[in-house]
Amino acid sequence: MNFEWQVISNNFFFLMGGLVTTFELALIAIAGGLTLGILVGMGRLSKFKFIYYPATLFVNLMRTQPLILVIFWFYFLVPLIIGRPIGGFTSAVIAFTIFEASYFAEIIRAGIQSISKGQMEAAYSSGFTYWQAMRYFIIPQALKNMMPSLITQAVVVFQDTSLAYVIGLREFLRSANIVDAREMRSVELYLFVGLVYFIVCFSMSRICKKLELKKGYA
Amino acid sequence: MLNYDFKWSILWTDPYGGWILEGVATTIKLGVLCCIFSMLLGIVIGTLRITQFKPLRIFAEAYTEFFRDIPLLVQLFFWYFAVPSLLPENMRTWVYQEIPDFEFWIVVVGLSLYSSSRVAEQIRAGINSISPDQFNAALSTGFSHYQAYRYIIIPLAIRLVIPPLTTEILTIFKNTALAMTVGVLETTFMSQQVEAYTFHGLEATTAACLIYMIITLIVVGAMGRIEKRLAVPGLIIRKGANS
Amino acid sequence: MKKKLLFSTILMVMLVFTTGAIAADTLKKISDSGNFITGVRDGSIPFGFHNDKNEHVGFSIDLAKEFHKALEEKLGKKLNFKTIVVNPKTRIPLVANGNLNMVTGSATHTVPREDTVDFSLTFFLTGSQLLVKKSEGYSTVKDLSGKKIGAAQGSTNEKTIRNLNKSGYFNPAVRLVVYQEHTQGMLALNNGIINAYCTDGSLLAGMKSKVKNSDDYMILGEMLSYDPYAYILPENDSNFRDFINEQLIRMFVDGRYMKYYEKWFGANGVVPFPMTDDFRTLIKLQSWPL
Repeated sequence: MNFEWQVISNNFFFLMGGLVTTFELALIAIAGGLTLGILVGMGRLSKFKFIYYPATLFVNLMRTQPLILVIFWFYFLVPLIIGRPIGGFTSAVIAFTIFEASYFAEIIRAGIQSISKGQMEAAYSSGFTYWQAMRYFIIPQALKNMMPSLITQAVVVFQDTSLAYVIGLREFLRSANIVDAREMRSVELYLFVGLVYFIVCFSMSRICKKLELKKGYA
Repeated sequence: MLNYDFKWSILWTDPYGGWILEGVATTIKLGVLCCIFSMLLGIVIGTLRITQFKPLRIFAEAYTEFFRDIPLLVQLFFWYFAVPSLLPENMRTWVYQEIPDFEFWIVVVGLSLYSSSRVAEQIRAGINSISPDQFNAALSTGFSHYQAYRYIIIPLAIRLVIPPLTTEILTIFKNTALAMTVGVLETTFMSQQVEAYTFHGLEATTAACLIYMIITLIVVGAMGRIEKRLAVPGLIIRKGANS
Repeated sequence: MKKKLLFSTILMVMLVFTTGAIAADTLKKISDSGNFITGVRDGSIPFGFHNDKNEHVGFSIDLAKEFHKALEEKLGKKLNFKTIVVNPKTRIPLVANGNLNMVTGSATHTVPREDTVDFSLTFFLTGSQLLVKKSEGYSTVKDLSGKKIGAAQGSTNEKTIRNLNKSGYFNPAVRLVVYQEHTQGMLALNNGIINAYCTDGSLLAGMKSKVKNSDDYMILGEMLSYDPYAYILPENDSNFRDFINEQLIRMFVDGRYMKYYEKWFGANGVVPFPMTDDFRTLIKLQSWPL
């Protein structure tokens, strides 16, 4: 077996196009998942039953499902229900946002819980409403406290986007797959894909470690 | 809006009901095997990460980072499509042609390696959460290093890591769904297969969702029991810990 | 009298709910909305796919444009040409519930599918064939008995292999490996994981033409199944179906069809796939007098 690394350079732009899609998908999914996750996380701590129960049900339901099945739902089945096809990218974005939100929500919930009740009361007593207190005091602190977990989850989302492969989205893994089916250089291509993912995820987890050390966990 | 003709009976019609059950059996087989292998490997690697011997520690750290930072799907494709082509021609033919359920075993290897790195992380965190005093106490009572780990540290760590390990086991079962991409006939695959033959995807996929939910409930229930049995008196069990 | 009224109302309601679609008038719908909405494939080379320049093109898309032109002529007004990407799982339900006027893709016309939708005349004829490596020395399909054959999940090809196993055609039976898509099958074949890959002949020709080591492969001649492709049309709309069929026949007769065939399947096309004698005869037989 001899290696032919030119396969990477010859198809470099095509592969990078896939990587761009992967990053787009990951960024939108992280932003969307985090936003929805904050709302659901707050819902998980709500004292109103009609908010608490749906939020809890949503989180527990999503966390029992394989992501691949959730992706199938939004790509193949939701179009049947709403009677309109959803494009590959849009459906992947929706699936990732909803799925990852359930994981972000649990992190946010823990983050909010880590903040003392006194702060909320202090905010109330100085005349802030619930939303204002959340918006200006609680959520920013919760996000800061949970930064390492959030980054870890963001890395997971980034890796998870490779599953968009199954609905034919031309992300990084699929681009490599397409090149592979033409050039037949599986070893080189998958090593390259693995290396790129590794570099991105490894640097993210290093940042995460630094943050943890700064906070004096470890 | 909803113009869909529900036909739930498809799920217990021959042969579709049988297909789904076969899929469930494969999912369980795959999940259990991967749990066992990744736990064993994970404990070894997790322990190596905190040994005094530097080369082993570096190896273990490299191992965890390597398998954790590459998406599982990429790893599976690498094992399935790329690795065998590195083998010599006649051996390759043997591997592909003679190993029954080659697809299944490749997934067992890939998923176990991937999950073991995550398990190792949890084990390391568990061991780290035990104070060095306990280790020193063990040594001063005349235990060797090996014995201190074997009888004090590891059993204690295992009890502490049960909640995060439950999460890992659930992740392993959920990850078995990826096996469908290399042609293993597990639950998700079978639900899509029923869809392809009957055009009743909503029913088949709902069934698959329910199956994963039931598996989760069983795992959580079983691990809860183990946790109760192993609970360390005087230590608060960390509930709902997630990595 | 009252009873009769009640009875007929109930009957009406039942009819509405059970049949769902009662003789939809697609032509009127297109005329009223000013939109011709057709479902197209992406990734079904060369029927509908994104080319190197990232344009959505294909044989079926070219024919859809011809339908669009003919519709504008017939209805006497400008119509928007809207394409929506469908996949094998959504293409039939979306026509059945009226969101799409038709699907111009690459669907095999089968009897079970007739339960929910109608089909146009056959516009393409192919069938399951096997792609193998020349070096392994197979000359007939039967030579693969006891070997591993790959196919895509849910395809008619997969069903064909299963049926051939069941009927004892392969002895010993072949081991079927089911992939999610053709690219994986091609890789598996190249890396020796499977001995043959089964899909429609036209697609195999496309796959073979795209790989670098094209000469290492060959397509075994026998057709293991018969797959006539047709366009998916709304159920119970005979006017619209007649219109589409008439346009197809006009294209068969005046050479436009062959022009597009040459463009996509000719020697210099995206997927060289010479028209078989059966195919040629079928086109001739379907060209009903105008």
